[in-house]
Amino acid sequence: MGLRKHSNLVSYALGNVLKYRTRSLAIVTALILSTFLLGSAEFIREGVMTDLNASADEGPDLIVQKLWGGRQAPVPLEWKENLSAIHGVRLATPRVWGYIDVGGGGLLTVMGVNASEYGTIVGTTGTEIMEEGRFLNDTDRYRMVVGEGILDIMRASFAGVSVGIGSALSLIAQNGSLIEFEIIGVFSSNSRIYSNDLILTDLDSARQVLGLEGASCTDYALWAEYGEDLNSVAFRIDTQIADARVLTRDALSDAMLVTYGNRAGVVALLWVVLLMTVILLSFTVSTSGSDEARREVGLLKALGYDTVDVLEIRMFESLTLGMLGASLGVSSAIVFDFILGAPILSGYLLGWSFLLLNGGLPLAISAPTIFTLYVVAIVPLLVATVVPAWRNAITEPDVVLRGV
Amino acid sequence: MTAIIRAESVWKIYGQGSPREVNAVKDVSIDIAQGEVTALGGPSGSGKTTILSLLGLLTKPTKGSVYLEERELSSLSEVYRTKVRRERIGFIFQAQYLIPQLTSVENVALPKLCTDMSRDDAENLAKERLTALGMENRLDFRVAELSGGEQQRVSIARSLMNSPDILIADEPSSSIDEALTKDLLATLRGMSEENGLTVIVASHDPTVLNWSDRIYHMQDGSLVE
Ligand SMILES: Nc1ncnc2c1ncn2[C@@H]1O[C@H](COP(=O)(O)OP(=O)(O)O)[C@@H](O)[C@H]1O
Ligand SMILES: [Mg+2]
Repeated sequence: MGLRKHSNLVSYALGNVLKYRTRSLAIVTALILSTFLLGSAEFIREGVMTDLNASADEGPDLIVQKLWGGRQAPVPLEWKENLSAIHGVRLATPRVWGYIDVGGGGLLTVMGVNASEYGTIVGTTGTEIMEEGRFLNDTDRYRMVVGEGILDIMRASFAGVSVGIGSALSLIAQNGSLIEFEIIGVFSSNSRIYSNDLILTDLDSARQVLGLEGASCTDYALWAEYGEDLNSVAFRIDTQIADARVLTRDALSDAMLVTYGNRAGVVALLWVVLLMTVILLSFTVSTSGSDEARREVGLLKALGYDTVDVLEIRMFESLTLGMLGASLGVSSAIVFDFILGAPILSGYLLGWSFLLLNGGLPLAISAPTIFTLYVVAIVPLLVATVVPAWRNAITEPDVVLRGV
Repeated sequence: MTAIIRAESVWKIYGQGSPREVNAVKDVSIDIAQGEVTALGGPSGSGKTTILSLLGLLTKPTKGSVYLEERELSSLSEVYRTKVRRERIGFIFQAQYLIPQLTSVENVALPKLCTDMSRDDAENLAKERLTALGMENRLDFRVAELSGGEQQRVSIARSLMNSPDILIADEPSSSIDEALTKDLLATLRGMSEENGLTVIVASHDPTVLNWSDRIYHMQDGSLVE
């Protein structure tokens, strides 16, 4: 029952979309723009979040730095004993790390670790040493384990040269000298940032490259006993070691997201402005603002259309325009991000941290995000058209007999 | 005579309580005889259109009652009143209200799209109605491309789509010339006689008034003798 009527109403609605071509085109264009903008920013955001979560999973539970006069200072190696003694700490291991310039504006992270201590951790997490290579051991000097992504980048920049286990890679040290390293292992990681960015070596070699004094390190990486609450461990360290600054895993991700968050706010604002345009546009040209549309509603009512029939027509019009605009917007965002690499927008959103992403943008797309993009495109449009139509439809249709 | 529609002491006050209050219809009682052509005459602004709106269930009286076959309708739900319009009343509006972007057939089929008749059937019926009015060569013209008289006929065809037993026409001769008016009147008369259609027409055109079975004159919102 009533199926024919619904199909009639739908086809009338589709006819309207074609009938008012200029109006339809304007709404769809505005929707494409707003969905495109939101979508391309959202895929980057989701990518960064996923990556940060992965790197947090692979990274230490806590990082302890030394603050001296309000600045971060080298941490003396004597801290190891104090840190290890604190209740709830499973492992405290020193790290020496910093950025090195590899030319062309690219930066890599060099990290010196205690091979035997770090080795117990690597492999139990998402980071895995790939076949044929190995992890560092305590006697290694000037040897390195690098992320897969770094090898890809090297292969790309030195075409024809085979790079892999056993290859040599020279780094420019802080004092200007060139130090040759041998690649002995390659790790894969769920985190693109890690994989494209990180070189692991021993503590002494790292000190030499980064120019750090003998008996100190950049920070301590801590892993807590299983089941320990990270915040209480952090609190104990804070109170027992005067100069310590403790960063928890969450605090680390937060800090990395701050830059992104600020920029994303501007994008969100721009998006809101665009969406408001869509709403105003659809409001004025389609339903309430235009006399033409109001008269159409009056006519339909006079001819015997029920209020719900009129709403159904308006709803299908908006759904058609909304689906069309959102689909084209999402598609162009996918092309822009995943195929073109989000030029301009990525640099703007990620700011300086983008420079660290040697292997390109972390991007992610998920069903909930796509769903959200559709919802935020279609719902406001529906409200902006159906509500005024409803108000017209419940007023008496005698306006139709008047020539206005 | 048997009254098909009857208004009893109806008032229509627009903008009640505001400084722009208008008593468009004041205490009017009127019987519309079944199967007759009833005309409402009177100067512009005398309340003819308002009476048609009340009798056609397009608006509710501020006071008083409207009966359709002895059933009081002004207090009934909008859904029910809409159903009565859909099934029993045809309208020819003064300003015609055709949708200019649609073709003649699409305009005429419009009243049937909100029923369970399929679109194809509705359009076939629309073609029949238009053909009966001599419009068979203008079926797929957009109405914006039609002459005034042709638009008038599209409007008549649309009003007949639901095979109404009551036809309400407001100033039907206002946009057409004398000859076309006579054509139109002949058509309406034919339908009244063949199908027992009740016609209510408002006009200040003497041609229209003289042709009707019964004339009521309006003045300042009231019926005058
Ligand atoms: N919606 C309205 N609001 C206020 N006044 C109205 C409205 N509709 C009609 N009127 C007034 O009601 C009076 C009667 O109008 P109408 O019924 O259209 O007369 P007619 O059809 O005889 O010319 C006029 O004075 C007109 O200005
Ligand atoms: Mg009038």
